[in-house]
Amino acid sequence: MIAKLKDLWQHRELQYNMVVKELKVKYKRSVLGFLWSFMNPLIMLVVFSIVFALIIPGELSWFVVFLMAGLLPWLFFVNSLMQAVGSIVNNPGLVKKVYFPREVLPLGAVGANLFHFCMQMLVFFVFLLAIRWHFSIYIVLFPFVLLLQVFFTTGLVLLISAANVYLRDVQHFVEVATMAWFWITPIVYPFGLVIAKFGKFWPIYLVNPMTDITLLWQYIIYNPYYYAPKGGVAYISFWGILGTSILSIALLVFGYYFFCRTERGFAEQI
Amino acid sequence: MAYAVEVNDVSKMFKLHHENVKSLKEKVLFFRRRGYEEFWALKDIDVKVSEGDTLGLIGANGSGKSTLLKCITKILYPTKGKIATNGSIAALLELGAGFQPDLTGRENVYLNASILGFSKKEVDKRFDDIVAFAELERFIDNHVRNYSSGMYVRLGFAVAINVDPDILIIDEVLAVGDEAFQRKCLDRINEIQNAGKTIIFVTHNVDVTQEICNRVIMLDQGNIVKEGTPKEVVPFYHKAMESHEESAERGDRRVTVTGAELLNGEGNPASEFSTGESMKIRVSYIVAEPVEDPVFGFSIDDYRGFTAYGTNTSLKGIDLGKVSGEGVVEFDLKALPMLEGRYSVSLSVHSRDEQTVYHWLDRYTTFDMYSQMNDIGLLYIPCEILVNP
Repeated sequence: MIAKLKDLWQHRELQYNMVVKELKVKYKRSVLGFLWSFMNPLIMLVVFSIVFALIIPGELSWFVVFLMAGLLPWLFFVNSLMQAVGSIVNNPGLVKKVYFPREVLPLGAVGANLFHFCMQMLVFFVFLLAIRWHFSIYIVLFPFVLLLQVFFTTGLVLLISAANVYLRDVQHFVEVATMAWFWITPIVYPFGLVIAKFGKFWPIYLVNPMTDITLLWQYIIYNPYYYAPKGGVAYISFWGILGTSILSIALLVFGYYFFCRTERGFAEQI
Repeated sequence: MAYAVEVNDVSKMFKLHHENVKSLKEKVLFFRRRGYEEFWALKDIDVKVSEGDTLGLIGANGSGKSTLLKCITKILYPTKGKIATNGSIAALLELGAGFQPDLTGRENVYLNASILGFSKKEVDKRFDDIVAFAELERFIDNHVRNYSSGMYVRLGFAVAINVDPDILIIDEVLAVGDEAFQRKCLDRINEIQNAGKTIIFVTHNVDVTQEICNRVIMLDQGNIVKEGTPKEVVPFYHKAMESHEESAERGDRRVTVTGAELLNGEGNPASEFSTGESMKIRVSYIVAEPVEDPVFGFSIDDYRGFTAYGTNTSLKGIDLGKVSGEGVVEFDLKALPMLEGRYSVSLSVHSRDEQTVYHWLDRYTTFDMYSQMNDIGLLYIPCEILVNP
C-alpha cells in the first residue's frame, strides 16, 4: 500500500488534471459556464429564504442558514458518492487500455466536488457577511471539519467504486441508500427534535457518522448559542467527534486497502 | 546488458463466465455454482527484452499477444509469474485513450500525456513537435469532437510517440492514417530505436517486423512457438498460418473434384518449382449424373490472397458439352514467372452462367517457388540491359 501511495504521488499531476477535466467538462458548452457553481447556492438561498421565512416559518431563527450549513456539506458528500461510484466502470476505454493508478478516477470525482463545495461555501459566506451574521469562534474549526468529511467521503468512495466493478448493484444501492440517509441525518430538522422524540435512545442517532459531521457543520456555522439558545440545535460531544474521526480514518485506510486489493481485476471485469 | 523488460514464467488465466453473473440476486442464487471455465491466455511465457531491442510479437488472433502486452503494461496482472520493467513505459494500446470530446486538442494533449505518465513540463517542451507531427497546427484549439477520425488517431499517436518513453509498447495501431503518415510513424520509430530505446509491438503486418524488428516472437494459443530474427520467424509464421486455414470446400457436388496434382516438366508430381519452369495442374473429377457444359478453373494465389493468375475453360473458349463419368482436365502452364514465395492453388467447377457452384476447393494445395536469380519483386520479367556509355 505504501508503494501504491508512492505511485499515486508520482501521478499527482494526472490527479490534478483529472479534477480539472471533470470541472472543465461539466461546464463546457454552457454560456454561463463556471458561474453555475455560484448560481446554484445563490438560488438555493433565495428559494429557502422565501419558503422558510414566509410560507413555513419554524421555531429557529434564520432557518435558511441552519439548513444551508448542513445541506451544502451533504450535497458535497452525496454528489461525490454518486459521481465516484461509477467512475471505474464508466471508463473502460481508460481502464482497459492504459495503466495509471485507478484511484485517480474516484478521487477525481471527490476533488471536483470538493472544489464545487468550496465555491458554494464562498457564496454562502458572502451572504452571511452581507446579513451581518454573528459568527461563533468555532468557525476556526472549519478546516478540521472539512478534513473529517473528506476523509470519510474518500474512504467510502474508494470502497463503493471498487465494489461496483464486481457487483453493479452497488450503484443502485447507493442511489437508494443516500436518499434514506439524507432523512436520518438531522439536516432539515434540528437535532433537538430527535432528542425530544427518541427519549433516552437518541444516542443511537449518533451511530451515523454523517450526523456527527452535520452537527459539527451546524455548530461552527450556525452559532446556535446566539441564534437558537433554546432550539436544541447543537449537540456535539468530545467522544462523538473522536469516534467519528477514528471511524473516518479507519474507513479511509480500509477503503484504500480494499481498492488496492481489488484493483488488479478491474480491467478484466469491466 | 540490462533488461528493459523481464517476463518470468508468466501465465494468465481468464474466467470465462457462462452467464455474466453481476447482480447480487444472481450471486446469491448461484452461490455454489462455478459459473466459469478456465481459459489460459498465456502459458509459462518467458521473455527477456534487452535495452535497445525492438521486439515484434506475431501470431494468429487469440494467440495471447495483446494479453502479454497488457500484462507488461500492468493493465492486467498475471495469474502466475512475475514481470519486471526498467524505465518509463508509454503504451499505445489504443490511440487517444481518454480523449475528451469536449476539450480542445491542446487540452487533450496534456491530459492524454499525463494519463500516459508524462509531466506538463515534458509536454511543454515537445508540444510544437507533437502538433507538427499530427499535422494539426490549424486545429489544435478546436474541440476534439469536431475532429475527423484520422485527425483523432494522428493526435493520439503523436502524443504517445513524442513523449520520449524508455520503453514504447505498441499494439496494432501502426495501421492508422494515410501512407505518408505511416511512413512518418516508421521514421519516428527508427529515431526512437537509434536513441537506444526499447520497443515492443504487436502486429499482423508481418512485413513491418522485417523492416524494424531485430527480434520476433511468435505466439500460438498462449505459448511461444518460435523466437528469433525476423528472417527465421516470419517464414515459419506464414507456413503456420497456411495450415491454419483449412482448405474450404463448397458446392452441390454434381461434379466432384476427386483430386489434383501439380506436375513438373518431367511429368512427376512436385511441390517445388523454379522460375521459368513449366507446371501442369491435373484435375480429376467424377460426375454422378450427366451435367451440361461445366466450367473448370483454377487460380494461383500468394500468401496474402493476392491472385497471381487464374483462368477457366470458359475464358479459354472451351465448351465441354455434356459431361458424365470420370475424367481429367489438365491446365498446362508453359512457364511460371513467379520469383520466390509460397503459392496456393484453388480449383473450381461451376456452371457456365456461374450461378451454380458444383465444387469449389479453396487453397486445395500449395507449392513453393525458387529462383536462381537475385531479382526482386513478384514476377520475373525477361529483361536485357543495354548500356551506351
